[in-house]
Amino acid sequence: MAVTAYVLVKSNTGEADRVKESIEAIDGVVDAHIVAGDVDFIVKLSVESPAHVKDIAASGILGIEGVEDTQTYIAMG
Amino acid sequence: MRFIVIGGGRVGLRTARVLTEEGHEVTIVERDATKANHASSAGFRVIEGDGSREDVLTEAGVDEADAVGALTGDLNANFAACLIAKHHGCWTVMRIDEDYREEIYQQYATEVDEIVYPERLGAIGAKNALLGGSIRAIADVAQNIQIILVTVTEESPMRGYSLSEVALPSDSRVLAFGKADEPLGIPLQDDSLEAGDRVAVIADFDVLDEVRQLLVGTTEPIAAAGGA
Repeated sequence: MAVTAYVLVKSNTGEADRVKESIEAIDGVVDAHIVAGDVDFIVKLSVESPAHVKDIAASGILGIEGVEDTQTYIAMG
Repeated sequence: MRFIVIGGGRVGLRTARVLTEEGHEVTIVERDATKANHASSAGFRVIEGDGSREDVLTEAGVDEADAVGALTGDLNANFAACLIAKHHGCWTVMRIDEDYREEIYQQYATEVDEIVYPERLGAIGAKNALLGGSIRAIADVAQNIQIILVTVTEESPMRGYSLSEVALPSDSRVLAFGKADEPLGIPLQDDSLEAGDRVAVIADFDVLDEVRQLLVGTTEPIAAAGGA
């Protein structure tokens, strides 16, 4: 069963390009956009299970230098 | 000129006041009824509504405005307002809430012409007030360039010399000069530096200390000229 999730990423660096490229390089990331507003990126994931979502958000995205916080939303429909 | 200021909070209201004092026509757009009333009773033309909506901006006169300042605390509203205003041919200024975002918006938000981060300006003011003395930082122009206003002291090595004789470091320029009791004006070669005179200098951070020593000559801490 494929799981789709959206991760809202808040950074603390002006190097948006570098962070975006690092996010896009993570396995399971479908799409990453730099956005205007309270968060800096919105990332779409498509993975095998909810556990993978947690892996990508917690160790993958949060591990990138310049990423301060993430909020994850798993799609229901 | 005609301006629309979105956001009637501290930043927006103050901006509107300064523009009005300088003879410009200003319309404030404010979503909150209490704030809108407050701005209205302060004498401003106020449109009560959401400044990130096109119909509200149209009512505020976006088609006739020269520039729009999106100065609310809400980044999404500010950005949406700039998108609309740019579409209507306005110069757009957007307020941001954290300094790292300056680079991001400069690079990606092509609809935003200028970005302001009020806290940076507040920090410059607070730093000046805390340090006092004869050097005042006016603005960080770029990451490495600052404009400072220096007051010539009795101890200044250049006191008694004319501006043409002042050999400032190559990474700096004199922008304006004012005698002790006169307003700042365009610097002239023959202006002589006396105690109490003020010199506005634009300089690279690397040479600020040198500029300070030449014009002030005191042992004020280097921090007095540092960035905010």
